[in-house]
Amino acid sequence: MLFSSIEFLLFFLPLFFILYGCTPSRYKNMALLAGSLFFYASGDLRHLPFLAASLAVNYFLGLHLGVSGRKNGRRDKEKIHRRRRRLLVLAVAGNLAGLVFFKVRETFGSGAEMPLGISFYTFQMLSYLIDVYRGDAPRERSLVRLADYALLFPRMGSGPIVRYPDIRGELAERRFGLEDIQSGLKWFVVGLSAKVLLADRIGILWQEAQTAGFVSLSTPMIWLSAIAYSMKLYFDFCGYSVMAVGLGRMLGFRLPENFRTPYMARTVRDFYRRWHITLGKWFCRYVYIPLGGSRRGELRTAANLLCVWLLTALWHGLTPNFLIWGGVLWLCIVAERQLGRIPAVKRLKVLPHLYLWAVIPVTWMCFAITDLGQLGVCLGRMFGVLEGINVRSGDWIDALRRYGLLFAASFAGCTPVVRGLYRRWKDCRLVELLLVVLFWVCVWRITVEGKNPFMYLHF
Amino acid sequence: MLLVFGTFYMAFVDPERIYARAFADLHGWVKGRAGEERFSPEPGQPSVTDGDGASFAAAGEDVSGPDAASSAEEAGEGGLPASRGAEEVAYVSVGDDYFADAVFIGDSRIVGMYEYGGLEETARFCAETGMTIYKLLETEVPSGEGREKATVEEILSGQTFGKVYLMVGINELGTGTPETFLAKYAEVVERIRELQPDAVIYIQGIIKVTDARSAQGDYITNEGIEERNAGLSLLADNVRVYYLDVNPVVCDGTGGLIPDYTFDGVHLKAQYIPLWKEYLEEHAVGNVPETE
Repeated sequence: MLFSSIEFLLFFLPLFFILYGCTPSRYKNMALLAGSLFFYASGDLRHLPFLAASLAVNYFLGLHLGVSGRKNGRRDKEKIHRRRRRLLVLAVAGNLAGLVFFKVRETFGSGAEMPLGISFYTFQMLSYLIDVYRGDAPRERSLVRLADYALLFPRMGSGPIVRYPDIRGELAERRFGLEDIQSGLKWFVVGLSAKVLLADRIGILWQEAQTAGFVSLSTPMIWLSAIAYSMKLYFDFCGYSVMAVGLGRMLGFRLPENFRTPYMARTVRDFYRRWHITLGKWFCRYVYIPLGGSRRGELRTAANLLCVWLLTALWHGLTPNFLIWGGVLWLCIVAERQLGRIPAVKRLKVLPHLYLWAVIPVTWMCFAITDLGQLGVCLGRMFGVLEGINVRSGDWIDALRRYGLLFAASFAGCTPVVRGLYRRWKDCRLVELLLVVLFWVCVWRITVEGKNPFMYLHF
Repeated sequence: MLLVFGTFYMAFVDPERIYARAFADLHGWVKGRAGEERFSPEPGQPSVTDGDGASFAAAGEDVSGPDAASSAEEAGEGGLPASRGAEEVAYVSVGDDYFADAVFIGDSRIVGMYEYGGLEETARFCAETGMTIYKLLETEVPSGEGREKATVEEILSGQTFGKVYLMVGINELGTGTPETFLAKYAEVVERIRELQPDAVIYIQGIIKVTDARSAQGDYITNEGIEERNAGLSLLADNVRVYYLDVNPVVCDGTGGLIPDYTFDGVHLKAQYIPLWKEYLEEHAVGNVPETE
């Protein structure tokens, strides 16, 4: 069930919140778990047993990893420590094996679908287990609370990835009130509009480009398509995260923000500190820093970064194009680290923006096109080194005419201006009315486009 | 704000529809599950196996019975209606200028022809993504004068064309039955003949989809397309109305669209649109008898 589906908006959302609101505080966690499981099961029932088994195993692993052994003697302590370490290795390997199994099966096997949000679930679980092992968080004795942490439906599909200590307090006790519901709902509508009114619509241009075939697009057109894809990806993902934060707020959780106007960054390094922030932090906390971070010299730092980007690439997908994507980003980041030392480069203001806006769409193409041959054609056309076949001259003028307004709206949405305006005026009655209207416009769009998130499913 | 939301729910949202939708989904989901295990054709649809000639023809006769009587006289002939046109009609090869007085009417496939067929300056195009035979004449398309829009019927009444090329049918695969589709198609062809008494009408068989797209589990299947194409071929009288089928050019041995020729399994990539145009150029009708 997608957030941007009629089932969710008009069926699950109101019903769940009415039932959740009626539940006494003591049982709210149970109600939340039931809701999350229903949400999960509506996608695919088959993966539920796997999920239950994984949860149970992780629950007991967490209990054992959290044994402090403080009261025992020194020898016992060491024994317990060794046992905990072995357990941690087992836990990490086991959880990763599950993820790798599903990814491999999807990519190379029968193409069977992965369980909903398995990548996020695994990372969330690993974060809990490692935190408990390190003593950064106490073990969770309640299975329901742990399940709520791992399966919280607002963030199940695509994040944000939350650390257990960050929402531990809210899992135990949280407020549920009209004020939170209202402000959460507003935030949700903002995310929904970004997804339905921007991402889904500008995505059509990208779809059209693929349908025509890259080899038949003029160079300006293929750049426009790449920018359209960049916008689609951002508003889709960011919209989803904003919806998740809004829903979390409605339930009484404060989920972290996942995006901070990434396209306003000046370096690729900065871009990935603003894009999918919680994933970046996860890799930083559990991979980069344990490897030594940037404290062991430039060479070691570059190697650590390579490791992080390799894993990031694999996390996104197992096809080789993701390795290219991660590799290019790694190269950019390493180069930026060196160039950044030059004072003259530091003073540049406009050029870095242009650099980013050129690099990011190119890397997104590596991200989007899984077929290497097609990727080569796309990049070849982007840089004008490949001869086109049956190219329609002026195709990009036509595209600009049809999508110009949408591009303008998307660009505006990428700046901090919209966010600032929202912060300033969100409690104004007029803005509230506008949000209500936006909500119903989104519902109307979704109905018009049918169950299909994209118009392109009509021929 | 919540109050306004609540009021909207009460005022506009029909709970029955929402629940019906959810149940329909659930139903579809359960059915989909079952379908995954073993492909079973929908009841009432004659099963067409591997595009085999005999059953192909049988399907054609089966579905087009009622309309064939009304619009195509030679329906009783039997045999292989799909290939009949190709054998009997002496087509000639023509160049681009043949299309100078042609109008192409159809769905997104015709949009593709408009954009990448190289005829956008030569011929007239009335193409709209999502066009169906049911709405064909009422569909609004650019009228050719500024930003004005006109319906296809208005354009056909206002201008005389020598050739009318039709390509619709994929969007309505899930709507109605082959019978209702063909009845409507015959009606539209009849209306076009009234509006353009001197024009040759080319009914183009629906371009098939890839095998993978066909097996995806929704209403778009090559079996459905073959069934309707067989019926469409019977609408041709080979005097004024001809049936053209480009599928053999763009399909592989398994009967589906060649996967390399398409990204989404439905539309030809721009670089392969010329194959279709060449097919049309090789299948033109030379001398058209004067109207009585």
